[in-house]
Amino acid sequence: MSDHVALRGAEDVGKGGLAAFETSEGRIAVANVGGRLYAFDDTCTHKGCSLSEGDLDGTVVTCPCHGGEFDVTTGEVLGGPPPEPVRTYRVRSLDDSVEVEI
Amino acid sequence: MLETFVVVGASLAGGTAAVTLREEGFDGRLVLVGAEPELPYERPPLSKEYLRGEAPFEKSLVRPPEWYREHEIELRLGTPALRVDPAERAVELAGGERILYDKVLVATGARNRRPPIPGLELEGVHDLRTLADADRIRAEIAPGRKAVVVGMGFIGSEVTASLREQGLDVAAVEGFQVPLQRVLGEEVGRTLAALHADHGVQTILGEHVAALEGSGRVERVVTAGGRRLDCDFVVVGVGVEPVTDVVAGTGVELDDGILVDELCRTSVEGVFAAGDVANHHHPIFRRRVRVEHWLNAIEQGAAAARSMLGKGSPYEEIHWFWSDQYDENLQYAGHHTGWDELVVRGSLEERKFVAFYVTNGVVQAAVALNRGRDLRRSIPLIRAQAPVDPGALCDEDIDLRTLVAPTI
Repeated sequence: MSDHVALRGAEDVGKGGLAAFETSEGRIAVANVGGRLYAFDDTCTHKGCSLSEGDLDGTVVTCPCHGGEFDVTTGEVLGGPPPEPVRTYRVRSLDDSVEVEI
Repeated sequence: MLETFVVVGASLAGGTAAVTLREEGFDGRLVLVGAEPELPYERPPLSKEYLRGEAPFEKSLVRPPEWYREHEIELRLGTPALRVDPAERAVELAGGERILYDKVLVATGARNRRPPIPGLELEGVHDLRTLADADRIRAEIAPGRKAVVVGMGFIGSEVTASLREQGLDVAAVEGFQVPLQRVLGEEVGRTLAALHADHGVQTILGEHVAALEGSGRVERVVTAGGRRLDCDFVVVGVGVEPVTDVVAGTGVELDDGILVDELCRTSVEGVFAAGDVANHHHPIFRRRVRVEHWLNAIEQGAAAARSMLGKGSPYEEIHWFWSDQYDENLQYAGHHTGWDELVVRGSLEERKFVAFYVTNGVVQAAVALNRGRDLRRSIPLIRAQAPVDPGALCDEDIDLRTLVAPTI
């Protein structure tokens, strides 16, 4: 059985929005793409900047520091200097809260 | 018969061009010639993570060694090209090899300027461009040693920060009143001067270096103002000049680098150029631009490769780069020479701002310290080259993305 951690307040991330949440697993970012939430490590694999301080365009998040681009749905690197993908998490939306599978 | 393409310069631009040529389907003979013994690599870590011993060199490689074998790229590393001969369509290498080409890309980059300062030849005086340079400086690094950095441009500033982070005593000497004054202006430069001072750097501004002194090995730096700075070693970073020797006298037009059009073509048929050495016509800024940064090496290297394959499109990248110093993230986008207004959003004092270089109401460039999101949002604004209300630029409540007029 897999474990879940709650992301308090993630249900308030609006369409096109991006936010990060402290969890026992570290900072996890949430992106709202057209009403669907995607979760991934907030820490860029290049130099550790916070991806949620960057911009979300469609499914692409751009790191604010050095322009690394990741697909929020897969964690894949789409451009820029990051050497490896970011970890992504399966999201479970409950009535009034959001959890991710870890 | 299969064509032969030669890339002169196993640099980031040259390496990226070779990668792009293969990815775009070029199946002819491809020769990559480099003066340095290494495979193409990225230089940004040399003044930062690599210099501080935090990242191995291999992480900087454009592609791993096996990639070149798998893609049948003939490597001539540690073998400087001496001359491109467009009349014979040949590249002459040190050691006597002569390679006939159908098309050649010159990506020879730049070399460090050597200022006419007495004592520059002393042992313990370094500059930084290559891996070998970085290794020489690394061998000098030990906590408590004293270093003097001459020149506070990007390389000098980054080296200063890295040396301080490694626990060295650092004095930094800059001829202008503030670091990066020529590029970023006095206001932004003052912020950066304060940053270094806060990290315990002895900043000596508005003073030139008169001499480096020592018997055999450097022992002190003497400034024009008569200051004597004792030191264990010196790093000089006073800018670069493009390396155009291989095409000198061949008919390839030169002016602060190799002149290329927006398709990376030089004035001579079959000869292309990209990266630090290429002075290109920029369709958006409508002037010539020569850029010495990481992203340009990648993007222009790729653009030149596509152009060599007849698939080129005008190279009109909005130039962008970063410079990490201590824990601070500095970024710049666009291109400006002069400006009539500097509009600041955020706070210079708190080191969290984006500043716009505005000429005739048009944003030509932006620099940001610890505000990367706004810097990236400025890029479409720069690309648009349309007048913008300065009040809106500095108004924190206005999303910069809304200031770009929709194109019709």
